[in-house]
Amino acid sequence: MVDIVFGIGITALTGALATIAGAAEDTESNIGSQGDPNSQVQLAPQMGFMHRIFNKAVAGEPPAYGLWCALGAGLAWAFMAMYPNPVLAIVLGSVLAVIVQGVYATTAYLGRTASLAKFGQPVYVDILKSMTTVTMAHAFIAIFGTVALCQLINGALEHPFPLPLLGLIWGVTLGAAGSATGNPYYGKERQYQNQKFGAGVPISASGNIVRYAEAGERNSLDNGWFTAKIGGAASGLCFGLIVFLELWRTILFEKSFDGWGAVIVGILVILIFTIIDRYIEVWARKNYGPYSEIKEASS
Amino acid sequence: MSAVAAKPQAGGAINPGAMAVGIVLLIILLGIAYVVSPGIGLMALIGVIIGGVLIGFGVHFVPVGGAPAAMGQAPGIATGVAMLAAGAGLAGLFGGAWAAEQGLEMAVVTGAIGGGMMMAITCMMVNFVYVFGMGIPAASGKVAKDPITGDTQAEYKSQGTEGHGLPFVSFVGGVIGGILGGAGGTLIYIELLELYKTTLPGVMKVTSAQAEPIAVSVAGIFAIALFLVNAVLTAYNITGTIEGPHDPKFKRWPRAIVASAVASALCGLVAILIVVM
Amino acid sequence: MSVKVEVIEGGVPHSKILIAGFVGTLVCLYLTYLNVLTTHTGMFAFFGGLAAVIALIWGSHTIKVLCSYGIGTGVPSAGMIAFGSGTIAFLFATKFGDAAPIVAVVLAAVVGFILGWVSNNVLNMRIPAMVQALTEMAVVGALTLMGFAALMTGGFTFTGLTSVSVGTTMGTNTFLGGCLIAVAFLLGAIAIQHPFNACLGPGWKQDRMLMLTAECGFLSMIVAAIMSYALVDHVSATISLIVALVGWVYTYKEYIVLSRRDAAAWLDSKPIPEVEGH
Repeated sequence: MVDIVFGIGITALTGALATIAGAAEDTESNIGSQGDPNSQVQLAPQMGFMHRIFNKAVAGEPPAYGLWCALGAGLAWAFMAMYPNPVLAIVLGSVLAVIVQGVYATTAYLGRTASLAKFGQPVYVDILKSMTTVTMAHAFIAIFGTVALCQLINGALEHPFPLPLLGLIWGVTLGAAGSATGNPYYGKERQYQNQKFGAGVPISASGNIVRYAEAGERNSLDNGWFTAKIGGAASGLCFGLIVFLELWRTILFEKSFDGWGAVIVGILVILIFTIIDRYIEVWARKNYGPYSEIKEASS
Repeated sequence: MSAVAAKPQAGGAINPGAMAVGIVLLIILLGIAYVVSPGIGLMALIGVIIGGVLIGFGVHFVPVGGAPAAMGQAPGIATGVAMLAAGAGLAGLFGGAWAAEQGLEMAVVTGAIGGGMMMAITCMMVNFVYVFGMGIPAASGKVAKDPITGDTQAEYKSQGTEGHGLPFVSFVGGVIGGILGGAGGTLIYIELLELYKTTLPGVMKVTSAQAEPIAVSVAGIFAIALFLVNAVLTAYNITGTIEGPHDPKFKRWPRAIVASAVASALCGLVAILIVVM
Repeated sequence: MSVKVEVIEGGVPHSKILIAGFVGTLVCLYLTYLNVLTTHTGMFAFFGGLAAVIALIWGSHTIKVLCSYGIGTGVPSAGMIAFGSGTIAFLFATKFGDAAPIVAVVLAAVVGFILGWVSNNVLNMRIPAMVQALTEMAVVGALTLMGFAALMTGGFTFTGLTSVSVGTTMGTNTFLGGCLIAVAFLLGAIAIQHPFNACLGPGWKQDRMLMLTAECGFLSMIVAAIMSYALVDHVSATISLIVALVGWVYTYKEYIVLSRRDAAAWLDSKPIPEVEGH
């Protein structure tokens, strides 16, 4: 068992790294239109709405980030096996993983767009050049943060799993948290800025995404700029809380209550979040009110 | 996520003949385990099957709306069901593996709570973004009233959508799904870890200290592989999206239990044969 | 009863890809055995990477056949179940020494067949291609992992994967002990589903998708070769890296040429084209 003070320090550091990684992950996926909002970017040309949005569907975010982080961790592990210098190894591993991510992003954009030739959607080479590099930069922050926190968990907190396995686990969790929290904000609020605020997008409006910006035509950098403000921050908070609370309850309470302390604290945390969620739900119902007074039969 | 338009016509009906064959298959696989390794192997296999069934059952609770959820067109979390469940289950496995030294019950409960915490935080943040980021209240499209809180749903559903956000019952479903997934994944891991720790030194002719990293890694990757197989099979069962325990699709769970049990028994048997043959 | 969305027009039929992929993968896997025959070098490890590339090409076409039916979940999940079942068969097969690839094929086929049967009958999916596709994908998953394992360690036996040939003597620094199998798992699982996921749409072309698969395979081989520096001697790892780089550059260029051929237009810094009616 590691010293409590040391453990708390590492926990705080991993929480901070996770928060940054989560925010970068969501911004990256929004610039690339990865995850579920991708379906609308894909649908728009079929409805006659040509656009200049980057469309890199590598996979769902969880498996894709599982790969980038596991790969970064695996490469870092291999470098550390040769030369024991964790900082250099993690940076180099993350850089190589980011190159793989960038190549996957370009092939995804080219493939998806070329398959839409029937509807006249052109391939924009300038999008490929300017957006891929920006997603790679964000992905580097996300991967580096995740691999670094895995190394801290493995090296400093003595978790039994080797680094690549931890990379896989936290990569998938990062993608799951980031896509769950960030996707609706990009999918509804940014892609469908032309629809009513405070309501879901009617199914009839599908495909009619916003394609023009304040000046000129919208590109995906505008989307990253917009979603970073709430979607990105919320995703970062989500992943940061997951990592921090998971480590915090184990480090601090593992020994108390005959070993059941971590479990009891975990249950309390779940209850607290349940209460917060219920409060948010009721708050919304009270303050926003119903859309219609007529009670219709549910479909 | 998939741009392929047509959905399969698979209905909610249960195929009793196939279910019976599945159960027979399960008994045969257990029988093989009993023949090759009546003690430790069979116990490990039973643990793996229980773990797999917990995962398969747990995935039914996780509220996932898929692509329409990202546009506020359908309730649930906007991502793939298999991978969201994997995210929760693996976060649980992480906690459970850490507590492995403290015994089976402790590790499984710790894993369950880890998965539940991951889902609780994620579901809360989903509602946070919906309400404070987009000004949309939660509403279910499948039921008129929330079965837990009794809140009416229909009038909070915006025009032209099937609902949006996570009503309270979906939140609870998500947490239960995370708990079951985390417990199942950890149970598989612990059972295989114990088996490998006992048998690998003899098989590889090395000391137990040398075999331990191999045992941890192999048990870990087996737990993840089994988790993904069970989660994807369950995702097939609910055709990709579900609102939570109140969704009519939830009634399909008996099929997934049999499917998960057979799949886990099969994969678990192979995992056990590695060391006992 | 389900509706098939797209039929495969033209191109090589699936049965040919299946046979070519199967034979090619096994031949390449056994070519890594030259490592054992010729004075215990690791120089032929790169054949493992080639085996993985060939297996992935076959597997991505299987995914195309399966996902044409609209299975209700995303394409990525198909890659996950392929490698989930493949991992189990692969690890078991490594115990059988020289016969490992054959055992992996047989066992993966059994696992995949039962999973396919369960999906179709117990889960009532009723997709005609399901059983065959899941069987093939489990085999592809197992063989791809075996290919990556051979690339990274020079062999595919359980002893080889758990012991080191060079470097430190710590028990953790091995393919299985360091859990590099987790990396190989995801490298394969993404590479197998990405080509169809990226190329789906009305303008899907078989040659473009298969070229992309080869590209993904070689890209995965590059990073796997870099990781192999920790497990095999530096000469062998460099040979693997060079083979992978040459293959990747060629396939990436070809893929861009094919995308350019199929794209509606290839523009640089041009506005959205005007379409009538909008």
